[in-house]
Amino acid sequence: MIDISSLFFSYSDSPPWLLHDLDLRVRPGDYISVLGDNGSGKSTLIRILLGFLEPTRGNVRVDTKDIGYVPQRRDVGDRDFPLTVYEALNTFRRLKKLSPDDLKSALQHVDLTGREAELIGSLSGGQQQKLLIARALMGDPPLIILDEPSTGIDPASQKDIYELLSHMSKVHGTTIISVEHNIEAAMANSTRIYHLAGGSGHICTPAQYMAEHTP
Amino acid sequence: MFQYQFMQNALVASLIIGILSPGIGIFLVLRRQAMIGDTLSHASLAGVTLGLLTGHNPVLTAFLFTAVSGALIEYLRLTFRRYSELILAVVLALGVGTAITVISSGQLSVNAEQFLFGSILTVSRLDLYIIIGLAVISFLMLGFLYNQLIYITYDADAAKIAGVRVRLINYAFSVLVASVISMMIRIVGVMVIGSMLTLPVAAAMQLGKGFRKTLFWSVIFSLIELILGLILSFYLNIAPGGFTALLAVAVLLIVMAVMRVQTALARYRARSTP
Repeated sequence: MIDISSLFFSYSDSPPWLLHDLDLRVRPGDYISVLGDNGSGKSTLIRILLGFLEPTRGNVRVDTKDIGYVPQRRDVGDRDFPLTVYEALNTFRRLKKLSPDDLKSALQHVDLTGREAELIGSLSGGQQQKLLIARALMGDPPLIILDEPSTGIDPASQKDIYELLSHMSKVHGTTIISVEHNIEAAMANSTRIYHLAGGSGHICTPAQYMAEHTP
Repeated sequence: MFQYQFMQNALVASLIIGILSPGIGIFLVLRRQAMIGDTLSHASLAGVTLGLLTGHNPVLTAFLFTAVSGALIEYLRLTFRRYSELILAVVLALGVGTAITVISSGQLSVNAEQFLFGSILTVSRLDLYIIIGLAVISFLMLGFLYNQLIYITYDADAAKIAGVRVRLINYAFSVLVASVISMMIRIVGVMVIGSMLTLPVAAAMQLGKGFRKTLFWSVIFSLIELILGLILSFYLNIAPGGFTALLAVAVLLIVMAVMRVQTALARYRARSTP
């Protein structure tokens, strides 16, 4: 699904590298959590996968253009943006030329059915995150990329979100790449962990990660 | 009053502007680009003066100069990524500099004041035909770009992922803004175009509705302000621009007051319910 080889990246196109000689192969159905400290290049890596940034050196191949993306909530319109839940999803559905049934089923997935007429700004943090996930799920894309999906969200909503992601990966075979601060969720749900530190990446299983990082 | 041809022309132009200007203004407001409307309206004055100087229709030359200025703003975004307000200063200098140079040269046979403050007497049939032509193109473009513009405004990254060509649409939007501004010059005048693009939207946003309803109420407020401004400026014998802007401020204040009272009443009822 994704093949990264000898990837180097720097915003100035020259050393020092923010991402240094990364290699990663992601198989269909993988659920990979990307872990690392602030500034380790996690968000930069997913912006490269999404095609928003070009690698300075190396190759990145993503097998599909049909990607569901869940950005950090703070990167999406203001709280007072005049948009209803329905408008937020239906406008996106039209852009992607999907059917109204895709919208309905995405709303059902995240349990927001019946709240279509509400303004997005009136939703709680957890519900807003679910809305972004519903948008990413519309049309069943084979790859979903998430940037810190549980930041600033209550525990109950976190549980719902991770159960849904896990279900999508196991039952639907959806490939998931999730930048995570939530180590517990990453350990419980991921098939593999990609750990970024000092610009370099290291792939391992959740058990290996725990063994390496538990004092 | 409407037996006069110039009033009929002004009324038709006002109706068109009343519908189109909030259609553009809502995106300018939500993208935090209200000042771009103001900058481009000042740039349009350069187009007007160049039209008057060369003997071409000023609405048409205003459209051309404003469209180029709008495209220049988009282009300069690449150069001044982190200081985007500098771009407005550059385009403002270009537009106002050109306008002042032409006006002060003494080469114009027409008084440029009517374009600064608006004048209902000067909307000619040719102006009206040009306005209708630009309006048809603008409505079609707005209809075609509507969903893309909403998503670029709300979440540009998601728009890119959905296949929207963000830069291209931004250029097209600049032309759209230029088109609407050039239509507005005759009626409201250069000085208040920026306000008339944004104030009806600001009033509608106070209602706390979704996008379509906010756009609908922006159009209603804009039509009320423009038509009332037109009628009252006819009877009071004043330039329509300034008075229409005052009406827009009044509508905004009234809507804000009504919403405050409504919220206070709702809180009072909630507290007094056992």
